[in-house]
Amino acid sequence: MTTSGDAQQKVEAYLDRLRQRLRGMNGGDVREIVEELRSHITEKAAMGGEVNAASVDATIARLGAPEELASQYLTDDLLARAQVSRSPLRILEGLFRWASLSVAGFFSLMGTLLGYFLGTTFALSALLKTIHPHTAGLWSIPDGAGDYEFSLRMGFGSAPVGGREMLGWWIVPAGLFVGCGLMVLTSRFALWCVREYRRSHALPRRSP
Amino acid sequence: MGMKTRAGGGQETGDKWEVQLRKGCLELAILAALWDGKLYGLEILQRLESDSDLVVSEGTVYPLLSRLKTLELLRSEWVESDGGHPRKYYALTPGGRQRAREMAAIWTRFSASMDGLLAPVAKGK
Repeated sequence: MTTSGDAQQKVEAYLDRLRQRLRGMNGGDVREIVEELRSHITEKAAMGGEVNAASVDATIARLGAPEELASQYLTDDLLARAQVSRSPLRILEGLFRWASLSVAGFFSLMGTLLGYFLGTTFALSALLKTIHPHTAGLWSIPDGAGDYEFSLRMGFGSAPVGGREMLGWWIVPAGLFVGCGLMVLTSRFALWCVREYRRSHALPRRSP
Repeated sequence: MGMKTRAGGGQETGDKWEVQLRKGCLELAILAALWDGKLYGLEILQRLESDSDLVVSEGTVYPLLSRLKTLELLRSEWVESDGGHPRKYYALTPGGRQRAREMAAIWTRFSASMDGLLAPVAKGK
């Protein structure tokens, strides 16, 4: 099997781009992925005899663009790891990597961040109520124009002027329930986004 | 014209459904391809193409192999080939074997019930 310098360069350029897009994944995993694909490209491109630029191009085209392929690896990795642990940190870590590669990933990350933020806020105000019993909780505060606005307060600083605390100690069970519920729903939302993406992308296709 | 558009839409839905169906079978197909022993990526792809109607892109199979390995349904090892480059071989773990058995049982039950339901439709053509 002979490989022209040009063909070799194309292989390396493709693998370099892929390696860059996989940044953030475990280094050992990235090396394995790159070596496996190098082996695939080399062998597949040689099936017609000599490995040349054209046969390498055709093989690479069937693998897909490095961004797309990296997205597949990252989302598959996220799904597999989420099956083992649904820790929000783990899910966010995967989404951050994916967000750098695709618009779908970016919006999934934004939605997930918002959900986790709201969930954490509810849970925190519930927990801080035990430390700041007079100032933490759900407050209704007059906005001066005759309306009221609601504020979920952590209880640092003084109580808002004219405000009224609405839930009292009920914020503890209610905040924990809503907060934990939001965290669970947000994790489900994130995994749903990933699955939908996987369902609509990289579809099996017929050989040309 | 409206009719035409609808017919086109129907065709597209049919294609999409077929694609989803094939994709849904891919995990089982890979586990089944490895039932008799270890294979490397290109061999798995060739096996899927020769023994089934599942023509899939390499860009789908390799990440899926990696996911199945993370889930500990597959294990892998590097073996030096005659051609001088290493190949990554995959084999079923006991968990993977169990999963393949379960999925095959569900598949057989499901396809038998569908066959019964579809018999009149097939005759009707």
